[in-house]
Amino acid sequence: MLAAEGLMVFYENMLALNNIAVRCGANQIVGVFGANSAGKSTLMYALSGIILDLKEKERMRGGEQITVLGKITYDGREIGTLKPHLRARLGIVLCPERRRLFPESSVIENLKIGAFMASRRQARETLDYVLEIFPPLKKLLRRPAGFLSGGEQQMAAIGRALMAQPRLLLLDEPLLGLSPAYQQVVMEAVKLIRETKKISIIVTEQYARPVIPIVDYAYIMENGSGVMSGTGRELLDNPDVKAAYFGV
Amino acid sequence: MKTGKRRERIDRGIKVRSDGLYALSSWREIAYLLAPRTLLIGGFLLAPLLLLLFPYWQKVLLIVCIYALLAMAFDFLANYVGLVCLGGSFFVGVGGYGAALLNKYCGLAPFLSIPLAALLGAAFCTLLLLPCLPLRGVYFAIITLMYPLMATRIIEAFELFGGTNGMMDVAGFANPWIEQYFLVTATLLLLFGLRRLAVEDLGLVIKGIKDNDQSVRASGINITFIKAQAIFYAAFLGCFAGAYLAHVYMWAGLSMFALDFSIIPIAATVVGGGGSLMGAVLGAVLLVPLSEALRAFGPLRIVVYSLILTVVIVIKGEGLLNYLARKYSQFERWVEI
Repeated sequence: MLAAEGLMVFYENMLALNNIAVRCGANQIVGVFGANSAGKSTLMYALSGIILDLKEKERMRGGEQITVLGKITYDGREIGTLKPHLRARLGIVLCPERRRLFPESSVIENLKIGAFMASRRQARETLDYVLEIFPPLKKLLRRPAGFLSGGEQQMAAIGRALMAQPRLLLLDEPLLGLSPAYQQVVMEAVKLIRETKKISIIVTEQYARPVIPIVDYAYIMENGSGVMSGTGRELLDNPDVKAAYFGV
Repeated sequence: MKTGKRRERIDRGIKVRSDGLYALSSWREIAYLLAPRTLLIGGFLLAPLLLLLFPYWQKVLLIVCIYALLAMAFDFLANYVGLVCLGGSFFVGVGGYGAALLNKYCGLAPFLSIPLAALLGAAFCTLLLLPCLPLRGVYFAIITLMYPLMATRIIEAFELFGGTNGMMDVAGFANPWIEQYFLVTATLLLLFGLRRLAVEDLGLVIKGIKDNDQSVRASGINITFIKAQAIFYAAFLGCFAGAYLAHVYMWAGLSMFALDFSIIPIAATVVGGGGSLMGAVLGAVLLVPLSEALRAFGPLRIVVYSLILTVVIVIKGEGLLNYLARKYSQFERWVEI
């Protein structure tokens, strides 16, 4: 469904992504694991196209010079130079790190903003669906999103991404700052989304243990390079990976 | 997407070598370090001499310095403290009236009345702005925009300080050389003083407040007090400019609260590049003479002026100084990946 090849991103002279190749098949969940500064978020920015926006902003500001190279194909179409909003229209939706909700809007408003491109009927159906997989949100709909707890915010953020009718959902560190209980809730939801909505999901995380049971395939990144890839089982059995990413 | 090549920016060798104090080993390196500063200081100090034959442009130089001071105040408040202040003209007005009052009623000579008016005026402005310090962004901007309007109306309504006629017969300077060099030196001193302040402890705390005021509060620092100090310094620059203007025009009046003193410094900061104070000065040096030169266009002057501003901002949104500084310290080349 989505295949990226030879992705390279430079922030000024620093190499943030070094020749990364990522594939995600239809209806697959793909995991990307790595420590801080491994390049996970940059990879997400590159896939969703946000990097092009960052690049333009930095250029206007006279700040860092960002260089993006490589090829991204989506449904057989080259989308490497496509602006982020056009990629979102094609169904690539990013749920960014640290949720980035609109803090002064209520939860329901956040969800409705997410549904900007959806038809009225799709929006209504997806809203019901989001409340079904995240029941705690029902009681919070009128609350300003900025006042929710971390876990509640994450549900709202994933909900907002779903409202945009994704065909490929990019989840950037969805478990950041969540308690193990909430991590379980979010991961169950991700699994459920894949099964009921038939969409593909790429999820990044630092700590692989809660995520690995639900992924079909996973990549491990270090300092901007892809060091290893395999199915969840293969990675679990590898002693190096075990030591580094599972805390054993 | 292009493949295979990217444009790389690298610090020039001479910059790297002259960055470390101990590595200065040749006149070339010393010159590299000193050239920009020398150009600025020398340019400002020589300008009155060079313009000897053009008395009209000597006056323009004074206006350049006035606007440079105001642009520095705006840049300092906007890019260091994080307060967008649209009330530059309020500082000018307070300083102007202050100097006129000190001169006429206390009989102080310009050399005393200008600094004193700047000090007292800055204290007065800080006191008035104190209640607005918790405000940020557009709210602070609106409040500061209101002050000069309010001051005009109050002076009009109560016929204070000569009402709409203003205060006449303020003492002028003994001769044009003193007039010019006093202002040029003061501008340079204030510029470098403020730049030094920005890297001292106080300046670092001020920048911290702009980035995240909660963290600064959590470090046990009273941010209202720090912000008040920052306002005081900015107001000092503005009031100094105003006080000076009163003595140049030998008059203080309502037009000192005019919007020009608030808006043109902002344009200068944007064109020159914010965040370094030097950019603000560069902007004033470019914009004020440009606006004078455009007088030939008559009524279309403001149109041409706005067009030039728009083009500069769209093409070089980062500001001229930032662009020039980058070219001075770095070079670019294409590299194969």
